[in-house]
Amino acid sequence: MDEIATDSRIGQPVRRKEDERLLTGKGCFSDDVNLPEQAYAVFVRSPHAHARIRSIDARAARAIAGVLAVLTGEELLADGLKPLPHVPFSMHPAEIRLANRDGTPLFSAPHYPLACDKVRFVGEALAVVVAASVAIAKDGAEQVAVDYEVLPAVVDTLAAAEPDAPRIWEHATSNVCLDADAGDRAATEAAFARAVHVVRFSTQVNRVTGVTMEPRAAVAQYDAARQRYTLYAGSGGAVRLKDDLATVLDIPAAQVRAVMRDIGGNFGTRGMIYPEFCVVAWAARRVGRPVKWTCERQEAFLADYQARDLAVQAELALDAQGNFLALRSSNVGNAGAHPTNFSPLQKGVEIMSSIYRMPCAFVRARAVLSNTSPTRPYRSAGRPEVMYVLERLIDLAARECDFDRIALRERNLLRQAELPYTNPFGMVYDSGDYHGAMAKALELGDWAGFPARREQARRRGKYRGIGVANYVDTASGVPRERAEISVHPQGRVSVVVGTVSNGQGHETSFAQLVNEWLGVALERVDIIAGDTDIVKVGGGTHSGRGMRLISIVVLNASRQIIDKGKRIAARLLESDPSRVRFDAGRFEVAEGGRAVTLFEVAAAAERLGDLPEDLRGPLTAFSDETVKEASFPYGAHVCEVEIDPELGAVEIVRYAAVDDAGRAVNPMIIHGQTHGGIVQGVGQALYENCYYDPRSGQLLAGSFMDYTMPRADHFPPFDTHISEVPSTTHPLGMRPAGEGGTTPALAVVINAIVDALAELGVRHVEMPATPERIWRAMRAAAGTASGNSSTPMPQAQ
Amino acid sequence: MYDFEYRRVGSIAEAQAALAGGSSSKLLAGGMSLLPVLKQRLARYDGIVDLGGIATLRGIHRDNADLVIGAMTTHATVAASALVAQSIPALAALAAGIGDPQVRNRGTLGGSVANADPAADYPAALLALDARIVTQRRVIAAEVFFRGLFETALEPGEIIQAVHFTLPQRAGYAKLRQSASRFALVGVFVTRTHAGVRVAVTGARDSVFRWREAEAALAADFRPAALARLALPSSGLNADIHASAEYRAHCVQIMAQRALAAALEPPS
Repeated sequence: MDEIATDSRIGQPVRRKEDERLLTGKGCFSDDVNLPEQAYAVFVRSPHAHARIRSIDARAARAIAGVLAVLTGEELLADGLKPLPHVPFSMHPAEIRLANRDGTPLFSAPHYPLACDKVRFVGEALAVVVAASVAIAKDGAEQVAVDYEVLPAVVDTLAAAEPDAPRIWEHATSNVCLDADAGDRAATEAAFARAVHVVRFSTQVNRVTGVTMEPRAAVAQYDAARQRYTLYAGSGGAVRLKDDLATVLDIPAAQVRAVMRDIGGNFGTRGMIYPEFCVVAWAARRVGRPVKWTCERQEAFLADYQARDLAVQAELALDAQGNFLALRSSNVGNAGAHPTNFSPLQKGVEIMSSIYRMPCAFVRARAVLSNTSPTRPYRSAGRPEVMYVLERLIDLAARECDFDRIALRERNLLRQAELPYTNPFGMVYDSGDYHGAMAKALELGDWAGFPARREQARRRGKYRGIGVANYVDTASGVPRERAEISVHPQGRVSVVVGTVSNGQGHETSFAQLVNEWLGVALERVDIIAGDTDIVKVGGGTHSGRGMRLISIVVLNASRQIIDKGKRIAARLLESDPSRVRFDAGRFEVAEGGRAVTLFEVAAAAERLGDLPEDLRGPLTAFSDETVKEASFPYGAHVCEVEIDPELGAVEIVRYAAVDDAGRAVNPMIIHGQTHGGIVQGVGQALYENCYYDPRSGQLLAGSFMDYTMPRADHFPPFDTHISEVPSTTHPLGMRPAGEGGTTPALAVVINAIVDALAELGVRHVEMPATPERIWRAMRAAAGTASGNSSTPMPQAQ
Repeated sequence: MYDFEYRRVGSIAEAQAALAGGSSSKLLAGGMSLLPVLKQRLARYDGIVDLGGIATLRGIHRDNADLVIGAMTTHATVAASALVAQSIPALAALAAGIGDPQVRNRGTLGGSVANADPAADYPAALLALDARIVTQRRVIAAEVFFRGLFETALEPGEIIQAVHFTLPQRAGYAKLRQSASRFALVGVFVTRTHAGVRVAVTGARDSVFRWREAEAALAADFRPAALARLALPSSGLNADIHASAEYRAHCVQIMAQRALAAALEPPS
């Protein structure tokens, strides 16, 4: 880890200035907002995975004293609300497009904030009760009588893709709502035909959910006089939330204000407007009082957007020396009940060959609808899944074709001289030292010392395994971002940006940029992001775009502040602007040593009425940029596990990570991001699973009693290292650092587990690799090997 | 949570009186199971009678050969008790492993026993240690106390006052935690007393039970090797998203060996 910060500039591990507020209960999260006269909303949610709504009888609920309104899909349609404006793909110019192979247009279906005709997953909201208290609203919700015609349901990804599966949307020809080809099919077939080795791997990547520490909440107010809505709710960014809410309410965006202060986690599953947010805004107008809704944890498990859930059948072709010839795959993503977002599928396909030299590839990418909560991007959308598939294929190739797994990776890993490199899907990797990252990870993980540790583990009766995984990540997202810097004579600098912190520490890291370029102390910098009455433009926090884009617009705006400042300072110092230099927050004339501070200059700008017009008034500047380049963070992780041969329980005993950030603004924050990312990745690999019962469609892992979260005591101390090879597609050389912890974690954990058990003949263990799954894999392998079903204890060698 | 009338009582007599009314009332001990159920509106009572004010229900003492623990004694108190550690160290270790610190600071022995959760730890200890549950009306042997899923021999209005444990010669407990809830996926409590060997299993069926084959094997030879060739049939065992019946059966055998190993450890 890095040492103590010596100043607050770029590169310093400055302690997060927001932490004291957040850790002492002084944060302001959505549920902390309370408005006078507010009423409370409770949603009526479907107990069925799939059912037609025959009728809703709300008379008994409406009769309860204190119930202000019961609203259903019928009222929603009558009031002219529109479906949620989902954007199914990343439209970033650097990314590939997926289109139906038969040329038909993309399937769409209206996702109304309340289910109108059918309920399509357990927990889908179909009515809301607004009352004077939460308790009364709950009483009312219990009294809403819904007559359901229960329909057959399907939740499993591949089962949903079958032609005879229960149809989620009647106007679709099947549940397959996207069927696209990517890559060069003919070249790939030819390469497989001449391959010496072909390795095959099928897997179902488990479905997980974001589990934000702060559950969602929303408070909405309608100002009838001004016909204006205010929504207080956490999301990835305020501007997008405002625009989307206006779309659903079918009003001009100027009639909506979205406000968010502190946000306790997003990870992507919280990055999009939710049905409940629209309903509370609408309900606030209907009842003439502010309306508040706070999601309960079990409600969050049911109704938050979920993630991953990808069925893959993949093949890797190699020549006799181990050179990769081609990759071929079928990727089927489970979209859930509404076709909301296919970008995890898209992002997974386009970099499925990772940072290896892959002459050609072909992927058939399908998205299927099912009776489950809709899926969305979740930390490193789509990439952890495909990195897992490819890194498993490489380990399988090493074992089945007798290559050393490190040598096989080294042979195929792209060299620096080969960059920029266009991968077989058309993505252009800009720069990086992929070999260096892997070598460093192997060194940190002490790969060379592993055999001795395995031997020690044997003596303790444990199987010990080690794994390595390389990764690349496409950071893209909404390309436009804006920053407006204002220097206030009172001694503060405010920076208005369109990207809110969901816990990433923007108040510190963005302020470090201002400290670097304007020489202003961190505590004098205010980052303003969460109010659309102030923030007009901004894409929000997703896809590694926060620091990557904010750094560009803050730099541009800072330069303008300095240029303006020099002209004003020249006037004050009776010099020429060309002779004024700016350093550490002061403008000075080189020869005389006379100087004025940035804040004195700001005061002068407001005071002096005879300045040129462009300098007169508050000292401000803005930059509004659309960045068309994507970024490709990369790295390598090494994980070591021990397995209890009796129970199959796995313990992570070492974990080393190398992640390239190009240029680290705050290494301590990056290390923290990496730690959290690793834990989320390991959570998926070992513990987490949104388990829906295949027959009833009920979510059986619907609370913390059944949905296993990773915990602090599951992990050893991590050895994380930040590599800084400047990116050639970012003016400051930066690469995003928020998702690297997760991207290779699935792969490296499963690779380590299989390595531990390989001597038994275990070829693979599916995620989550629970003790029972490992125990069964050991038993099955032992049974195959010796006809004996008991698990052999590890033997010292 | 639905509305209810809350009453904090100061004596068993007061508690009895509070329960005696016609309406449905429930005793509240530590509330670690009852409160979540109430909050989720999964149960509805007209009255909640809080036993927290009855001082005589708390405490740990020796009564001749028995260790006596008051019903309202928290898990944390049992875990930290020098008397428990000296008398039945396996019981202190069990209490130290229940839930998390918050649960151990609120949850009570009597509440856990009366609730009879199929995955709770204490029932295994009571059954294996041949404990006696003392109520204001009678003494009930653990053997007949646990009847099924959340079902006990307690009659309406009957209040557990204390549990009497006979001191064993050897005792050990081992459990495999369900990964999410951290309740026992399976837990096995092994004892040897002057009366014989007992092996009590929790988490594996709808209620705690004795694994008689293991008891017989250990009665003949109180060493782990005696269990190595035994297998608990998986039929009738719990199966859920966390473990199949087959895996639970396997884990019972492993946990029995580990409990035995703990029982055989020399006192520290």
